[in-house]
Amino acid sequence: MRRRLPLPFLVLAGIGAAFVVLPLVALVVRVPWGSAREALSGIGASTALRLSLEVSLAATAISVLIGVPLAWILARVAFPGRALLRALVVLPIVLPPVVGGIGLLQALGRRGIVGRWLYDAFGIQLTFTTAGAIIATTFVAMPLVILATEGGLRGLDDRYERAAAALGGSPWYVMRRVTLPMIGPQLAAGAVLTWARALGEFGATITFAGNLAGRTQTLPLAVYQARELDPGGAVLLSLVLVFLSLIVLIALRGRVTGAA
Amino acid sequence: MGLEVDVTIHRGDFTVRAAFDVADGQTVALLGPNGAGKSTLVEAIAGLVPVGGGSIRLDGAEIHELPPERRPIGIAFQDALLFPRLSVLENVAFPLRARGGRADAARAAAREVLTELAAGVPADAKPAKLSGGQRQRVALARALVAEPRLLLLDEPLAAVDASGRPELRSLLRRTLAGFAGPRVLVSHDPVESMTLADRIVVLEGGRVTQLGTPEEIRAQPRTRYAADLVGVNLFEGTLRPLEDGAAALDTPDGQVIVALPAGMAPFPAGAVVRGRLSPTDVSIHVRPPEGSPRNVFPGTVEEIAILGDRGRVRLRTTPPLVAEVTVGSIERLGLEPGDEVWATFKAVEVQVMEQTPAPDTL
Repeated sequence: MRRRLPLPFLVLAGIGAAFVVLPLVALVVRVPWGSAREALSGIGASTALRLSLEVSLAATAISVLIGVPLAWILARVAFPGRALLRALVVLPIVLPPVVGGIGLLQALGRRGIVGRWLYDAFGIQLTFTTAGAIIATTFVAMPLVILATEGGLRGLDDRYERAAAALGGSPWYVMRRVTLPMIGPQLAAGAVLTWARALGEFGATITFAGNLAGRTQTLPLAVYQARELDPGGAVLLSLVLVFLSLIVLIALRGRVTGAA
Repeated sequence: MGLEVDVTIHRGDFTVRAAFDVADGQTVALLGPNGAGKSTLVEAIAGLVPVGGGSIRLDGAEIHELPPERRPIGIAFQDALLFPRLSVLENVAFPLRARGGRADAARAAAREVLTELAAGVPADAKPAKLSGGQRQRVALARALVAEPRLLLLDEPLAAVDASGRPELRSLLRRTLAGFAGPRVLVSHDPVESMTLADRIVVLEGGRVTQLGTPEEIRAQPRTRYAADLVGVNLFEGTLRPLEDGAAALDTPDGQVIVALPAGMAPFPAGAVVRGRLSPTDVSIHVRPPEGSPRNVFPGTVEEIAILGDRGRVRLRTTPPLVAEVTVGSIERLGLEPGDEVWATFKAVEVQVMEQTPAPDTL
């Protein structure tokens, strides 16, 4: 028998779908296709795109490098304050990114509690540099790979790791040859999500690293700047971001959306 | 030198206390019901569970404080536990590479062991593609590839379906025989233990309840569990002499009449004794028996197992009994599980032995 659909639900679902799809359709409709090339070069789109890729990939690499060990500690080692640390580590997911940016300024800015020392001792300044943009982006995006990895580790049958130890594997060897390969799919999904989030990062970056073309002006920042001077270009850049994000979701093939 | 185990292991509220030795070239089976502590004991030997007290020595050297990867042990697990993301070949090469061996040399050695133990298993397949029996063969190869000093096999046949078992069992027998060091086999299958082991450690509730050769345990099971395993009826209780020279053996499950052995000094009153009754001495009747046998137990048939031309009939009586009769009489009596029957045996058939206190004397 065919499932009979409740009409009010259908209407509400339709509104929901339209609500999500309409802005995307509007972007496509409003793109100044005729002058696309000039618009893009005029606002330094290729520079912003290249910088965006650099910053987002660097942030993803750092997130995996330090986030995966952190996830392992959170999943496997019992210590006082673990619940609190877990909450703090994922906090950037729900925190307004601008708040993260202000926190980073207070910590790593030229007059920040650590940044002052970095500047005085080594002459290192992170604000208004590409490195600063990478740090701000990492702060916001890293929780995604931590959550995915920790989930993977918690779901892992630890008998395999115990077997590996009994068969002569040192903890580090077991981690490399058994644990990480077994959580590979979750780790990869977490890394891709982290990268996608990094690509779209705006608030923390503009707060901490500023909006300097060629140094800290990633695609979202370029869109933000172009929206007044060159609305058509802003639309075009937005569409580029939509396109990149869609590619990420397709690459994940349902790991995030839940479809098999 | 071999393996010398004398340990106490705490796991939450559960404590395992065991002492036994395994000489080079000898197989000891740890036999016991589920939850007896067999796997815990093996994990302690492998270093996966900390030892609360006592020591584990291998070739005279204490190993119980070494981390697991530093113990010269080869181990195969119940569910094989092949690493799912590594190929069969890389699984077998793992113990060598983990100990710092060169990748190509490790693979060559792995290939050699695989040819010997798991010919026909594709070396580049992932474990998920293998059958239960193939997985266990690969696990066996992985346990042996690094030429360990001690071989631990934790229920190697449990996850293999019945059709694959005989072949794997004979491979297991050859593998054990070919291994020069001490070998420990965990099992809850009495047939497996009896046929593969030189000695058996019976473990119940975290304690060793009996230790001996399969023949010794078959001849003189000391607990109800061991008696059930070897299919012998065992009555344990206090003896109360009757007027005519017979005696009543009062067990928690009911009373059995036994004949006191002639010329034997009388047991002290209240002494705990054991009576052993061979299943072949138990008769089954489908009507109340004629005459006046002194041991008559009404009950029902619980289970019938045919072994060749003999049938082992488990009876739900008080106390519970096992009878072994010919397949012919099972057919003649038309026995089926659930049937109402009467079991009888002669008082003189029960062998009475005084309970000896410690199992270590065996």
